[in-house]
Amino acid sequence: MKTNRLIEMLRESFSLRLFFCLAIVGSIFQGCADLEPDPLEFNLPPESFGNLGEMDRGIIGVYRALTRASWMTTFYAPAWGGDDITTHRALNKADFREFDQRAVLSSNNRLLQNWNAIYSAISTINGVLERSEGLVGSEAVNQTELNTFRGEAFFLRGFLFNQLARVHGRIPLPLTQFPAADIKRSELVEVYEQIESDYLKAEEMLPALYPGVEAGAPRPNSGSARALLARLYMDWAGFPIKDNTKYAMAASSAKKVMDNASSHGFGLVDDVADLWKVANRFNNESLFTIVYCTNQTGCPNNSLANRKYARLGLPADLQGWNETFAEIKFFQDFPEGHRKNATYRMELDWENFNAQKSPVFAKITGPIGDLPQASFQTERNDFVMRYASILLIYAEASGLSGNVTDDAWEALNKIRRRAAGLPHGTPDPAVDVMSGNIADLAFEERKWEFAGEYVRWFDLVRREKVEEALSVRDIKNAPIPEHNPIIGSLATSNYLSPIPADAVAKNPNLAN
Amino acid sequence: MKNIANLLRIHVLYSMILLFMGFQTLEAQQTISGLVVDTSGVGIPGANVVVQGTSTGAVTDFDGNFSIAASSGDVLEISFIGYVTQSISITNQTSLRVVLEEDAENLDEVVVIGYGTARKSDLTGAVSKVTSQSFENQPMVRVEDALQGRAAGVTVAGSGNPGAGIKVRVRGVNSLTGNNDPLVVIDGVFGGDLRTLNPNNIASMEVLKDASALAIYGSRGSNGVILVTTKKGSGKPKVSIDQFYTISNVTKRLPTLSSAEFAKLENAEFIANPVNDPANAPYSAAQIANFEANPINYQDLIFQTGITNNTQLSVSGSTDDNLQYFLSGNFIDQEGTQITTNYKRYSFRSNLTKQFSDKFKVTANITASREITNNNPDAFGRADGSGLLRAITWDPTAPVRDENGDYILRSPREVANNNYNPIRRLEMSEHNVTGDRLNLTLNGTYNFTEDLTYTLIGAVNTFNSNTESIRIEGDPEVVGFNNIAFGNSNSTFHQVSNILNWKKSFNKHNLDVTGVYEFQGTRGTFNGYSTTDQDVYGFYHTDNGTTESFSNDGSQTAIESYLSRVQYNYDGKLFLTASLRVDESSRFPKDGRTGYFPSGAIAYNLADTNFAENLGLSTLKLRAGYGEVGNQNINALAAFSLNNSAGFWSPDGGGTIYTGDTQSTRGNSNLTWETTVQTNFGIDYAFLNGRISGSIDYFNKDTKDLLIQRLVPGSTQITEFVNAGEVNNQGIDFSISAGIIESKDLTWNSSFNLSYIQNEVTKLYGGLDFIVGNVMGIGGGGIMLDLIQVGSPIGTFYGYTALGAWQSTDVIPLDNDGAPVAIPGDEKFVLDENGERKLGAIGNGMPDVTWGLNNTFTYKNWDLNIFLNGSHGFDIYNQVTGTISGNGGNRSNLSPSVYNRWTAENETNIPRAGTGNVLNSSRWVEKGDFIRLSNLKVGYTFDEGAVKGLSSLQVYASGQNVFLITNYSGYDPEVSSTIRTNAGAASNEDSGAGIDIGAYPNPRSFTFGVKATF
Repeated sequence: MKTNRLIEMLRESFSLRLFFCLAIVGSIFQGCADLEPDPLEFNLPPESFGNLGEMDRGIIGVYRALTRASWMTTFYAPAWGGDDITTHRALNKADFREFDQRAVLSSNNRLLQNWNAIYSAISTINGVLERSEGLVGSEAVNQTELNTFRGEAFFLRGFLFNQLARVHGRIPLPLTQFPAADIKRSELVEVYEQIESDYLKAEEMLPALYPGVEAGAPRPNSGSARALLARLYMDWAGFPIKDNTKYAMAASSAKKVMDNASSHGFGLVDDVADLWKVANRFNNESLFTIVYCTNQTGCPNNSLANRKYARLGLPADLQGWNETFAEIKFFQDFPEGHRKNATYRMELDWENFNAQKSPVFAKITGPIGDLPQASFQTERNDFVMRYASILLIYAEASGLSGNVTDDAWEALNKIRRRAAGLPHGTPDPAVDVMSGNIADLAFEERKWEFAGEYVRWFDLVRREKVEEALSVRDIKNAPIPEHNPIIGSLATSNYLSPIPADAVAKNPNLAN
Repeated sequence: MKNIANLLRIHVLYSMILLFMGFQTLEAQQTISGLVVDTSGVGIPGANVVVQGTSTGAVTDFDGNFSIAASSGDVLEISFIGYVTQSISITNQTSLRVVLEEDAENLDEVVVIGYGTARKSDLTGAVSKVTSQSFENQPMVRVEDALQGRAAGVTVAGSGNPGAGIKVRVRGVNSLTGNNDPLVVIDGVFGGDLRTLNPNNIASMEVLKDASALAIYGSRGSNGVILVTTKKGSGKPKVSIDQFYTISNVTKRLPTLSSAEFAKLENAEFIANPVNDPANAPYSAAQIANFEANPINYQDLIFQTGITNNTQLSVSGSTDDNLQYFLSGNFIDQEGTQITTNYKRYSFRSNLTKQFSDKFKVTANITASREITNNNPDAFGRADGSGLLRAITWDPTAPVRDENGDYILRSPREVANNNYNPIRRLEMSEHNVTGDRLNLTLNGTYNFTEDLTYTLIGAVNTFNSNTESIRIEGDPEVVGFNNIAFGNSNSTFHQVSNILNWKKSFNKHNLDVTGVYEFQGTRGTFNGYSTTDQDVYGFYHTDNGTTESFSNDGSQTAIESYLSRVQYNYDGKLFLTASLRVDESSRFPKDGRTGYFPSGAIAYNLADTNFAENLGLSTLKLRAGYGEVGNQNINALAAFSLNNSAGFWSPDGGGTIYTGDTQSTRGNSNLTWETTVQTNFGIDYAFLNGRISGSIDYFNKDTKDLLIQRLVPGSTQITEFVNAGEVNNQGIDFSISAGIIESKDLTWNSSFNLSYIQNEVTKLYGGLDFIVGNVMGIGGGGIMLDLIQVGSPIGTFYGYTALGAWQSTDVIPLDNDGAPVAIPGDEKFVLDENGERKLGAIGNGMPDVTWGLNNTFTYKNWDLNIFLNGSHGFDIYNQVTGTISGNGGNRSNLSPSVYNRWTAENETNIPRAGTGNVLNSSRWVEKGDFIRLSNLKVGYTFDEGAVKGLSSLQVYASGQNVFLITNYSGYDPEVSSTIRTNAGAASNEDSGAGIDIGAYPNPRSFTFGVKATF
């Protein structure tokens, strides 16, 4: 009945027919309600890499993460604990003052930012390693290139674990992209063994010289891995594990890098002052370089600019940000000469600054006229480890392992000669030393050679010399005393930094 | 292929609209226009006029005018809620004046309920209705303001930022992802945006609150639904002009050190250091004297008097051949109270309804709008807090310009805020966003029989937005000094709804059955280009930059739905409603894609019982309802693992650029709907024949499978969408309105509504106690500001619990290393068992109670409106005070509290100089309770004919935000800052409720206006 009426009505008018036509057309659309997203429009990560091109993009992502983890002073904030670096007495530098004054709190924002940035990069690395496993042994893939990529991943993971272990000691060791949420902190020996294992794999897989890159190993080679192993063994032999047998391994590792220096493209820059010129940001002294760039050098948005230099090291008197200053006693004790002139901005009348009367590092601000003074974003690179360090590790470790050779003295003397502005390869009795405690001499040499390079604090820790150095940091009755007095303990129990409170809140296992 | 199908679909819809507009009239009838008035002669808007025995009908307009086609011998039935229905036989009249008498016994109002209408007395669910009468007394440019304090269960919070979003919430907050904005349905079409709507175009708004009313919106209904009905034309052609002019100011200033105070303190600190020569003190006595005489206050410099100009013109009426028209144009030019901020809106609406026959009716609504926003503060870098916060904390000893008239870029002494001059940034930058919207809605209704109606709604909306921006952020000598960006986003939305409705009465049994088949889809694309460091000072002067980056993005969603609803009532006494909606959404993986949303409700009318009469009640209805609704507001591809392009890396420092990938999200193939189960018990009541009426509702909402985006546990970087837990909301909505005085010359109407809400996260899956949120603090990169914690409400603040300062008499605990955790004068916090500062919940930004009290008085030709509203029981995370005290981008302590800092001589609870100032601290948590006089308006309406040629004329003056009673120390307790999250995080603004990082306060405004009708 109803149906008949309906059809009759349909006949009644044109408009009605059209209306129903449209209703039907409307219904046809319904097949178009497309409920399946089109994956081609989106960037889905592969379960595993299908080819080296995908692997390459993954590795580039890792370098990006590393560079972003290290682009600010945050990455090196614990090094403010050393007797070489200090910061402004007030302003918003409390995070740095906590390290400088040895009263580091778990609420320290820099600790947390580092923790997050480093574990983010490690997660990315683990993802790349997991996804590339399927390519291993595949005939369709160039295994040499694959090994190089995987070697880079192991190298960077070892380096980042190492960076955190130097700050916190016992840390969790996630080896998969998605670790257990309640992961525990590993024992320190396990941490060192993991770092060692990563570096060793990297050394085995990486070429002696990474093809097609600038000087200074912006992508690491097997020598970079061995160099960082030498540094790791120095830490391992020192506080807190104090496994003295590792000094010999440090020495042999350093020697291995020295013996193969030319095949890795490593060596000493002739003039130590040249190292800090932006034009020499790629140089063969750097054993592993973290590369930065700015708009002007072709990188959009300054998103990979180095934010640690130029105005960061200047007082407000010179439009600076008052962040990275030199300590006064260290400056005064620094042996006069060529190296001191390259380390500090000697021309500045720091004793009459109004903002804060602290000396200024040329290593931070750049030599006179080299970096735009008002810029906080530069294309300067970070030299994670310098060939000079390998030489001094060799000298120090030789002494500490009781196997002092002529090569060890020569390694030390090269640095001393260059520091004096002399050719480093030419013996010069005026500066060379051939006797004494080479370990102490090399340790002392490191103090001056690496001042302001975020190295000193970690040297003091491994050799348990924090109290020795910092207890004499504030000169009594000096015309200008150090600005941030020590308020925390200088005992070994206060060497390591707490795990960030936010990380502990998220994973209470990290409290222990 | 799919794109072609989309094009085709859109094309056909447009064609439909064009075709319909070409239709010819099928029959001609006599047109009768008339005016429906009450006994005092005031027009009654919204009255129903029906030709008896047919479905031909009309509704009176704003002023009571109607127009209807009828033949001689027909009987017109004129009815309106609260009035006695009148019947008038048509002979040869062409115009009528109908006087309706009040009938408190018959309170019957038509309410839009979604896919249909119902008489108010038949409702089984909780629906708040806001008619235009209740807000026409308040001059407003935004529709959201009309809801504030006028609908129980609805909370509204805006800011002074012109053109910015205003937060509307219905019965609290369920969700942490996507947003909690209620679904706005304008004339039957989903996804409307209230901001683009001209308040003058609205006939009524209905807010659906309980799940039995909402369940028919299924997966879209969990946040409440606001149904907007726009005006239609009827009667004689009528031209209305409405013009107002508003002056706005922010008068409050936060206490900060004055120029002279700061200079003196800086000098004192300099001299206190024995190594400094007092002669070198940074500020000379002459400078300080000058600061005292001419202080520099950047708060004064960043605020301005904002002028708003609103012009609105409408033409409405109906023609003899049954075409109803309502055409309206509106122009708003709103200057913000922060310098250089501006918002302009041009909008146009055409509502046409044509009754082709007594069976067939077509409505075509077309709206077009253009919005232009200049220098929206949220478009600038906010990592160190808003531009306002930068101004508050800028060096008070540095003027904007030096003696040569050049801008001072940075604090010359590098003190206080470390960013560039905040005034220069705004004055030199042009960040311009132009948004164009075109919405076309076609609604065809055909009555097969008296009982069976078919409605087809087709809608196509397009929204194109274009950003042209040149932001001058820094020093031309230094890289990154400016940022030039162009962005273009296009989005389209389509909806087709087929609605079949069958209504039938059998004796005392009344049945109403609705079936719907509906689908909707969205498609959005974005293209952007940016460059930096071009030495030009205007967007159009830019050329290829030295560095460039571009981005393209797109997303697409679709949803397909089936719905049926049965409403039954027995003799107007017992009411039953049941419905089921099925939604399939593309946002979820196949297995979790389909959602079933049932509801049921029952109501019983006790009005004519002895029980009610004994209580003196003229209305008494009990309602109970149950329903399930869903939330699908997650990213289009939440189910998938995604790489973001990690950005580039250059191993040679810029010569070669390689692009890399990093995984940004982890897919979840088990994702499913977030479901809210709501029960509601309500009472509608009226006394004194309706002079006093209202309702009270209790509701309980349990949300399960709460959708959140969180960090994958154990990861510091990769996020995932998960169904993470459960949230409970329960509360009470109460409303009462009364005609307190109803005499010939003097009337006083008062309405009050109040909402009480308790919100609590009841469970997190996987045994978790809490999940840290995604809202970033000032400076970024540190600890997030929000927390989702079992037992606490949504919008809980995350931080350390501050206990003042350590005193010399305190026993300071030792940490694991045996060292004291602090020295006297350091800030004191609650510590854990290891002596470490302990993080946890420290406050909550969600109000427990909100209310509104609206009073309208009329005395002869005068009217007076007083509208108060308030919010109570919530906290504010005042990051602004924390920053003023020296944190974030501010290197100096600019707070007057420095005078009372802890010293060895004067031990106080304000931490000593030099101690770390922690922003994530309960030290910055304050009570936010407030009461605001939102509107105070006096108007005068001239007698009809008093001005020749005008049928009505009203002039008025009003003040908005006239006073604010609060203990909150910031500008405005009502305003939360737009949250900052890591790129791509889907947290919504409710996770950041009550967080102030320098929010744009609501101004105090004074308005003068005139309304005229010809």
